[in-house]
Amino acid sequence: MIQTVAIDTVLRALADPTRRAVFERLARAEEVNVAELTRTSGVTQGAVSQHLKALKLAGLVVERPQGRNVFYRARPEGLSPLFDWLGHYDSFWRDRFADLRALLKEIDP
Amino acid sequence: MKDGETPANVQEIVVDEVFSHAPETIWKTLTSGDLMARWLGMAPAGFAPVVGNRFTYQTTPAGEWDGTIRCEVLEVIPNERFVYSWRGGHDGNVGYGSRLDTIVTFMLEGIDGGTRLRLVHSGFVLPRNDSAYRNMSGGWSQVVPQIGAITGEEDS
Repeated sequence: MIQTVAIDTVLRALADPTRRAVFERLARAEEVNVAELTRTSGVTQGAVSQHLKALKLAGLVVERPQGRNVFYRARPEGLSPLFDWLGHYDSFWRDRFADLRALLKEIDP
Repeated sequence: MKDGETPANVQEIVVDEVFSHAPETIWKTLTSGDLMARWLGMAPAGFAPVVGNRFTYQTTPAGEWDGTIRCEVLEVIPNERFVYSWRGGHDGNVGYGSRLDTIVTFMLEGIDGGTRLRLVHSGFVLPRNDSAYRNMSGGWSQVVPQIGAITGEEDS
């Protein structure tokens, strides 16, 4: 269940092409601050900050404050739900068993 | 898979529950098309509980996968054991909709006042483990562009 939600969150966070570009930019670099990201992204600093916030909530990015600067870096393990077929099928079968139980109650009370 | 990547990791899902119904009743829900459709939420097309029978389920497509799950009945021991293959997905997908070549096994065991039903869905090959995640410098640049396709949103 939790894993399915996590997959949705990660997919939603990366579905937006601009946000995905920000993530890819971070994935290629060690650490980048907002100003630097803004220079290369073609959108406003406010928009970049919003995207970073969404990526952070999805567990794809971590931040490190340093003085007045905040540096961001990608968090590769945040992508792991995407590879997690097991999570999907585990939820699938558990839900199906619940439906099977309900059906059995109906046909064999 | 590229050379130097970690070895494939094969895993399975197990769901093991007790039902207060006779094995014969549960067997019927597992092996008759109408009832399978009702609890699986997908109607098996062309299904017969006979070894060698090929049938399909239709589920949500993803990327280049049309959502067809191809199955073949491998083992039928009435009221005890029912096994079929479960193949689908596409190499171009990650997560949901990725390539699957798996086996679904139902095992029934009569117990006092009911049946113990055990499901094993085996053969999930996980191509990446933890160390692969940490080292996927080139890996996700291939993964990420496909996400738009998975979510059904337009990639620019």
